[in-house]
Amino acid sequence: MHNLDPIISVSHLKKYFKVYKKEPGLLGSFKSLFNRTYEEVKAVDDISFTINQGEVVGFIGQNGAGKTTTLKILSGLLYPSEGEVSVLGYNPWDRKAVFQKQFALVMGQKNQLWWDLPAMETFLLNKAIYEIPDAPFKKTLDSLVELLGVQEILKIQVRKLSLGQRMKCELIAALLHNPKVLFLDEPTIGLDVVMQKALRDFIKDYNKEFNATIILTSHYMDDVKELCERAIIIDSGHKIFDGQLQDIIDKYARNKILSLVFSQAVTKKDIARFGEVKEYSEDGSHFTATITVPRKEATKVASNLLKLLPVEDLNIQEPSIEAVIREVFQTKNA
Amino acid sequence: MRKYWQLFLLSWQNGLVYRLSLLLWRLRQFLSTVMAMTIWTVVFTSQQTAFGYSQAQMITYIFTISILQSLVLASVLNGLSGEVYSGALSKELVKPLNLFAYLGIQDVADKAKNFIFVLIESALIFMIFKPELVLPNLTITIIFLVWLLGGMLLNFWISLLFGAIGFWSPQSWGPRFLFFMMVDFTAGKLFPLDILPQAVRAIVALTPFPYLSYYQTQLVLGRLDTAGVIQHSFILLLWVVVSGCCCIWLWKRGLQDYSAAGQ
Repeated sequence: MHNLDPIISVSHLKKYFKVYKKEPGLLGSFKSLFNRTYEEVKAVDDISFTINQGEVVGFIGQNGAGKTTTLKILSGLLYPSEGEVSVLGYNPWDRKAVFQKQFALVMGQKNQLWWDLPAMETFLLNKAIYEIPDAPFKKTLDSLVELLGVQEILKIQVRKLSLGQRMKCELIAALLHNPKVLFLDEPTIGLDVVMQKALRDFIKDYNKEFNATIILTSHYMDDVKELCERAIIIDSGHKIFDGQLQDIIDKYARNKILSLVFSQAVTKKDIARFGEVKEYSEDGSHFTATITVPRKEATKVASNLLKLLPVEDLNIQEPSIEAVIREVFQTKNA
Repeated sequence: MRKYWQLFLLSWQNGLVYRLSLLLWRLRQFLSTVMAMTIWTVVFTSQQTAFGYSQAQMITYIFTISILQSLVLASVLNGLSGEVYSGALSKELVKPLNLFAYLGIQDVADKAKNFIFVLIESALIFMIFKPELVLPNLTITIIFLVWLLGGMLLNFWISLLFGAIGFWSPQSWGPRFLFFMMVDFTAGKLFPLDILPQAVRAIVALTPFPYLSYYQTQLVLGRLDTAGVIQHSFILLLWVVVSGCCCIWLWKRGLQDYSAAGQ
């Protein structure tokens, strides 16, 4: 159930950083003692979007695209160079307590847990910081601990925990105050596939149960595919796509994939007449191939294939989202 | 207020995790006081006064300075600029916390822990040396406590000023090191400032450094007249206000340039 008023609105957001450039080598170091050149990096360059309550939106982009910078601005950590930002009706930069009590930021690579103390101590501190009454605290904590299966590790020093265990505790610490808005920056980074799946399921449940608005950045397309209906693709500080994840394929995929199984020997050259051969194998009795053809011609090519070659089985597929996005970035950077 | 109390408790627990490190650090403080006591006790076996200090005054000086050292100069905020530069501060910035109160509570918790140890160590030293001490009257004690708070606040602002360097540069250790050197010379940590020539003393008196502990010791020893007490109270207050204002301005400015690098 999506509320129509946007919970998050970003308009013409820009964030520029000044970075110091050094020439390579020792000589460059000496030169830089006297004269330094600075360069302006446009981490976020005129991005606008709105997000409604209950939406789960995936931010997709390469390293340094501006995903994390945008999340940091939405959390009130960074001061925008230009543009308007509103989260839950507040300007995040004002860092009002009433706003801060309604959101949480989880960064996969960094932690808010006190490193030398058991996670439970951080939970109790957060209880006090977010002014959570005893009863709801206990209820939320119990359910989170049970959901994530971390009963046994709450009294162990955080530095002794595995990455997966720590990440679970990080999530608990971030969710104790039941945030309405959740910013997750690479929440599954470094975790094994089983743990990634567990966290994903958990995030999905949290969204459903509390109608929470979630923005997620991830390098793993599986995270985005499984959790987000909507994706925003950011490249070099610009938004290049905003819409349903499935629409990325319609918009950017130029080809379709045809998987073929032949009943008799067919040469690679024969197949190449119909499209670009991606895979070809023959072991004397089985002959298979995969080709890509322009989307609009897929049906026509398929029918020609059936007519002209000894095709036993034919399958027309959409390319994977990963492949399409890879193609988007490659074409842009070519 | 509960959140700050909880933070106070947690800072204490955090400070008590590494027992060996805590023990060795206290041992170092303890031994340095014992060494100073031994040296001055030896010096006073052959003379009645040294640099205008009687033996009782000098021993009281060492006691007072070791307490002030723990309460004023020791600070957990020495690494603050690193936290700012690395972006580790982000986890506090997104929470409904007053940042200065958060940092202040950690500092106070550390000082309170130090103070308890200093009391125990002082009792031990007292048993070993059985020294004669100069004890201040009630008025002086009250003024001392106010100056002590003033010194703590001044050092807190100074630590925050150094911490703010992290907004623009990773290199805060250069200036910080210079500051430690200045403190060693001008806060009376190594020797009473009376040893310095009058002209140098007059200049040092205008800097914030002697207000971190030196004048507090002079007050306890009864070496300041009423005019001196008023003058130094005024300068201390001035430094607290000036450094506090600079700090608030600089942090406001710094947070706008904060890049939360890596975090």
